[in-house]
Amino acid sequence: MISIIDYGAGNLKSVQKAFAHIGCDAVVASQPSRILSSDAVVLPGVGAFADAMKALRDRGLDEIVKQVVYDGMPFLGICLGLQLLFEYSEEGGGKEKGLGIFKGCIKYINVPDDLKVPHMGWNCLDIKKESPLFNNMEEKPFVYFVHSYCLHSEDRNIVAATCTYGETFDAAISEKNVCAVQFHPEKSGQTGINILKNWLKNVAGVIK
Amino acid sequence: MIIFPAIDIINGKCVRLTQGKYDEKTIYSDEPWETAQRWESKGAKFLHVVDLDGAKQGKPANTETIKKIIDAVNIPVQIGGGIRTIEHIKAAFDIGVSRVILGTSAVNDRPFVEKALGMYCDRIAIGIDAKNGYAAVSGWEVTSNISAIQLAAIMQGLGADTVIYTDISKDGMLAGPNLDAMKEMVQSTRMNVIASGGVSCIQDVINLKQTGVAGAIIGKALYTGAIELDKAIKAAE
Repeated sequence: MISIIDYGAGNLKSVQKAFAHIGCDAVVASQPSRILSSDAVVLPGVGAFADAMKALRDRGLDEIVKQVVYDGMPFLGICLGLQLLFEYSEEGGGKEKGLGIFKGCIKYINVPDDLKVPHMGWNCLDIKKESPLFNNMEEKPFVYFVHSYCLHSEDRNIVAATCTYGETFDAAISEKNVCAVQFHPEKSGQTGINILKNWLKNVAGVIK
Repeated sequence: MIIFPAIDIINGKCVRLTQGKYDEKTIYSDEPWETAQRWESKGAKFLHVVDLDGAKQGKPANTETIKKIIDAVNIPVQIGGGIRTIEHIKAAFDIGVSRVILGTSAVNDRPFVEKALGMYCDRIAIGIDAKNGYAAVSGWEVTSNISAIQLAAIMQGLGADTVIYTDISKDGMLAGPNLDAMKEMVQSTRMNVIASGGVSCIQDVINLKQTGVAGAIIGKALYTGAIELDKAIKAAE
C-alpha cells in the first residue's frame, strides 16, 4: 500500500487520482503507524514552506518523514515535498528550517524582468544522471511546474534533473530510496504518469 | 506556444456555439470528461473549459461536470464562465481547477478582480472578449465601451499576468484568427496572451505562433475534424 502523507497541505486528491489512473491504490494517511507500515510513502504539498513545516511538526510527522527516509522506505516528494527535505528555505525572507535530510537550500527563483514568478506552466527537464524516475523516457521530458522558490542542492550527485527558467535550478533528486521532484507529475499528462509508474516500479517495487 | 483544446459546456454536455450565440449550438458529446480524455490522449498539455450556462447566469452552473473532467485527466484545467465572487474562485480551486478565468466580471466589477488578483494572482487569467476591438460582456450578448487594449492595460496594472483574448466575430466561424488584433495585443502588453477564436487549420496555428502569443485555444476545428490536435501541437512547438 502506498501512503500519501496528509498534513493539511494540499494536492492530495490529484496525486491519489494519478496513482489510481495507473491502477495503484494509494491511501491518504496522517497516523504515524499507518505511514510506517506502508510499502512506500509520498509527501505532497503546496503552499508556504513555513506553514508546511509547522503543520508537519504539529502532527509529529517531521520525525516520521525522517524515519521513513532513514529506514530506507521508498519515498517520493512532490513540489513542497521536495523542498522540505533540505536544510532551509528563504521563503518569507529569513531562513526557515526544513527537515535537513539533504544539504542545500530553497531560494526565490531569480529571473530577468521579462519572466514572471511564479514559474507556472510547462517546461522541459535536463536529465543529469541515470535515475529510476526517468528510465526509458524521452531526452527532455516536458512537465508542469507551479512554484516561486526553487532548490539548489549542495550535493550535486543526488540531482537527477534540472530545469531552466531564468536560472537553472534542481528539478528532481534521486538518492537510494528517496526521489523528489519540484514539478507536478500528477498534472504532467502521460509524461507525468510515466514518471510515477517508473517510481512505482523501480523504487517502490509495487508494480511490474 | 501551448495549444488549449476548448471544451464548452451547456447543461452538462460538450457543445460548440457559433459566434457565441446560444441558439446556434451543436452538441458534440454528452460526456465532456470523455472528450477531455480524448484530448489528453492526443497530447494536450492544458484544457480550456467554459461553463456557458455559468457565463450567462453569472454564477457557476456546471461544477459537477467540470469536476468529472478534472478527475478524468492528469493535465491542468483552466475554467471560465460565471465566476464572479471569491467564493466561486475558491470552490473552483477546491475541485482541482488550475487556473480560473475572469471575464465579464473584469469589466463590471473591478474591485473584485483586484481582490482576486491580490489573493491568487498566478492562478487567474483575464478573459477579454472583443467585438470590433471593444470588450464584450455577459455571454457576449452586450458590448462595452472600453477597448480590449485599454482593458488589458488596466488588468496588467492590477497585477494580471495572463490574458485570454477572444475575437468574437471570429469564434466558431472557422474563418481564421484575427492575427492583427492578436499581434497588437501582444505588442501592447507584458502579459502572456492566449489567443482564442477562429483557428481553423494548421496554417492558422503557425500564423498565430508568429504573432508571439503564448497559447492558442482551439475549439470547433477540433470537433469538426478540420484540425487534428496532435498535428496542431506539433506545429505549435
